[in-house]
Amino acid sequence: MWATLRSRYLHLSAKTLPSSSLTNGSWKLGFSGLNQTFSSSTVERRSNELLSLQEVEKVLSDVRADDVAVVPVGNQCDWADFMVIATGRSQWHVKNIAQALIYKVKQKQKGAKRMVLPSVQGQETGKWIVIDSGRVIVHALDEKARAYYNLENLWTAKPAQKEPVEELTKVFVKVRRINNSKKPAQGSD
Amino acid sequence: MRTVLKVVDNSGAKKVMCIQALKGKKGARLGDTIIASVKEAMPNGKVKKGKVVYGVVVRAAMQRGRCDGSEVRFDDNAVVLVDKQGQPIGTRVFGPVPHELRQKKHVKILTLAEHIA
Repeated sequence: MWATLRSRYLHLSAKTLPSSSLTNGSWKLGFSGLNQTFSSSTVERRSNELLSLQEVEKVLSDVRADDVAVVPVGNQCDWADFMVIATGRSQWHVKNIAQALIYKVKQKQKGAKRMVLPSVQGQETGKWIVIDSGRVIVHALDEKARAYYNLENLWTAKPAQKEPVEELTKVFVKVRRINNSKKPAQGSD
Repeated sequence: MRTVLKVVDNSGAKKVMCIQALKGKKGARLGDTIIASVKEAMPNGKVKKGKVVYGVVVRAAMQRGRCDGSEVRFDDNAVVLVDKQGQPIGTRVFGPVPHELRQKKHVKILTLAEHIA
């Protein structure tokens, strides 16, 4: 399988990403700023640990993943900056997307003494594979799983659905039991 | 064993009872996977009462130490149902979930969660 991947990389000419592959409106907003200020912004620097957004985009377009959506979640959650969601046409395709991303990371770190690989979850089944590379998290799903879990809905509608903080603080408060018996509560006199 | 945990996803079950902790001789802690039996379920859900399911503990009343020395402890015991391969059965997770799930390779549950403690 690696031979076919390598041959694919050799044959590909430098492709610019077709803008028709962008489905998420918020992605366009974020990326147009990225192109100009990539070198100076500090947020994107941090995601260069294992995989950067541009590399992920390139790999996904090389593998011909369908319906790539990039959601900037930096303002909603503090453990990730970008979520990339891609669809595979079959389970084998989904596994292939994951393998291609890991191959890219290995290529990037070639020659280093110790290789840090991103953690992959769900590799045995081809239904939903998550690749956690620091600030960028890539989800590779097949079409049924994408419709079932509906991740874009969850992450793009997130700020509106946030629970008010007061309700959340009530969850951690211990509630004293109502004393319906005739005896007084223990410890009270 | 025999701990009744609350189910915090929309898979249909309400309460499950732990029947086996998969790792650890002294029992499962926050972030571990357990085998559980569904004791109470919603009438039309994906799992029915009496089914044996796998689950990941997302909230535990026992404190768990973090690497910076702090400890995290919740007020209830809660679980998210998964299948044998680790895919969540439900599509949304309610309530807070801790960061420990990332270390334990449960990023899927983190992405479905609405609040991360």
